[in-house]
Amino acid sequence: MEFGSVLNALILGLSIASIWLIAALGLTIIYGAAGVINMAHGALIMLGAYSAYMLQHYVGVPYLLCIPASFVIVAVVGLILERGLIQYLYNRPLDTLLATYGVALVLVQGVRLIFGSDPKYLAVPEIFSSSFMIGSVSISTFRVIVLAVTALLVFGIWVLFYKTRFGVQVRAVMQNKEMAASFGINASRVYMLTFALGAGLAGVAGSLFGVLNIVLPTMGDSYVVQAFLMVVVGGGSLAGTIIASFASGELQSMFAFFTNDTFARFLIFVLIVVFLRFKPQGLFAKAGVRR
Amino acid sequence: MGNLYYNKTAQWIAYAAFFAALAIIPMRIDDDFLLNQLATYGVYGLLALSISLCWGFGGILNLGQGIAFGLGAYGMAMTMQMQSQTVENPIPPIMLNNGLDYLPYLWWPFQNTASGLIFALGIPTLFCAVFGRIMFKARVSGAFFAIMTLAMLSAFYTIILDQQAYTGGVNGITPPSPLRLGSFEIDPYSSVGYWVVFFALLIATVVAKLITQSSFGLVTQAIRDDAERVRFLGYSVSGYETVIYSISGFIAAIAGCLWVMLVQYVSPAQLDVGFSISMVIWAAIGGRMSLIGSIIGAFVIQGGQSYLGDAFLSTWLLFLGGFFILVVRFLPNGLASLVEAGLGLIATKSKTATSHEPNGAKPFPAE
Repeated sequence: MEFGSVLNALILGLSIASIWLIAALGLTIIYGAAGVINMAHGALIMLGAYSAYMLQHYVGVPYLLCIPASFVIVAVVGLILERGLIQYLYNRPLDTLLATYGVALVLVQGVRLIFGSDPKYLAVPEIFSSSFMIGSVSISTFRVIVLAVTALLVFGIWVLFYKTRFGVQVRAVMQNKEMAASFGINASRVYMLTFALGAGLAGVAGSLFGVLNIVLPTMGDSYVVQAFLMVVVGGGSLAGTIIASFASGELQSMFAFFTNDTFARFLIFVLIVVFLRFKPQGLFAKAGVRR
Repeated sequence: MGNLYYNKTAQWIAYAAFFAALAIIPMRIDDDFLLNQLATYGVYGLLALSISLCWGFGGILNLGQGIAFGLGAYGMAMTMQMQSQTVENPIPPIMLNNGLDYLPYLWWPFQNTASGLIFALGIPTLFCAVFGRIMFKARVSGAFFAIMTLAMLSAFYTIILDQQAYTGGVNGITPPSPLRLGSFEIDPYSSVGYWVVFFALLIATVVAKLITQSSFGLVTQAIRDDAERVRFLGYSVSGYETVIYSISGFIAAIAGCLWVMLVQYVSPAQLDVGFSISMVIWAAIGGRMSLIGSIIGAFVIQGGQSYLGDAFLSTWLLFLGGFFILVVRFLPNGLASLVEAGLGLIATKSKTATSHEPNGAKPFPAE
């Protein structure tokens, strides 16, 4: 085992971490702010990929513009979903889990009926599909883009939540809905917007994952469970999700280096269960928060 | 006269009628293939029953019932595979194909049919007991427990997929011949297979029903409604939760064994997340608070899937998803609660008609 291959594994781990993080970002916001277990998150990721595909294939929008466009489209879907269904279920967390699974079923089957089950591909500019070398380590350019977008989104969310009036309102509602409402904050509107924001983030993730993998109606399924684990381990906070994703990504890469990818995933899942045995509230849970 | 729905005698009569109807089926049907298919619905009924027991009566939403089902199924498949190995040919082909020229320790207990069956049922139950104990002791509950069961399910799915030489990987295990118990062979394509499943479902349902009516069952229902209060009353909440979760896992393990007995096949697909969640959908639509409602939910949904779904699987699933959303939104206790409301309506009507009922009739415990 020489230094180069370890470095390679670490860099790969960072890339895996960024993928897990971007998949979990939207979930963190929706769970953290509204306490909704959104099982439709994978389907929203899938919708993001299909939005990018549609825009690129039928309208001819350049790929880089597809990313923000996916955000908008999926955010609108999220908005409709929140107004039409989720807003009636806020005090029934288990039912949000079930209802959103139903939504996922509908979205996946709907897309399958429209687009068929055959894989679609997103075309990216030539330069993205290349890779470059740092020392002896080969890095795919697109994975760097994913990392950059993830960092940008995290920064954006941080600014939104901690530097704007809207962010103060969201955090107030998170801490105590009734109290916030009695200070004149429209909690229902805050929930609606955070849900749309979370859905939009899933859309961005989807438009990126569509390039990393092929675009399929079921492509989102595999991300849901692991994204949830990141949120649960992180305790529902943004910082927690970031650290959980980083740690799991690196561990996954290191385990895979010694065994293989599937076995590494198994180890990660088991480690998470053991971790939650000792810290059921996750990494950074505030005292007295619902769990 | 109160609501007939809560009347225990009426409930037992409904159960008897239901099983009598199921018992008539093999006498009326000659088609062995159809009987086999109907028997697999019985297995799904067992799974829905196990979910109803754990979720409807214990308040534990378990999205990973596929673990117990899958482990039971793998245990049974390994037992049946070993039955067809002879002295000259002691090693199953999946190992030889994967370059393994000895029988791994994992397979040793399954060389003998009796010990194989004990392990096939015991290991999933033991897993539920240990995993449940760990989780409930840490007071992981509600949606978080559901997520953790999903994580465990994914973990098992990946490990079974990965360990090809031991589990057959993605192709799974296909035992070449039906299950033999002693010198008796259970032909899955005959009424014998159907009757085995029928009696398993009958016994499991009666036992589950008795559990829900026992004082143990009443405590689990109290935990479902308010765990904190039950804890303050001095009950060991985690203990009760672990036991009901393990019983539910045991029933699912039986279902897994019977399923392999019927179809002679197992693969990681039985531990697929979607399959485990569909068990929850059966119980949710049928009515998780009603054992029989959940079983009927499984029959109707799986039946609909195979009869309507072959041609329009996507449309069917789209419809099912939409219907599921409506049920969760408007009928959180499933279609059984419609029956409950309907019988309640009749009860109030007859009450106003006679209006000489003694006031304050004592409330019946919920089913």
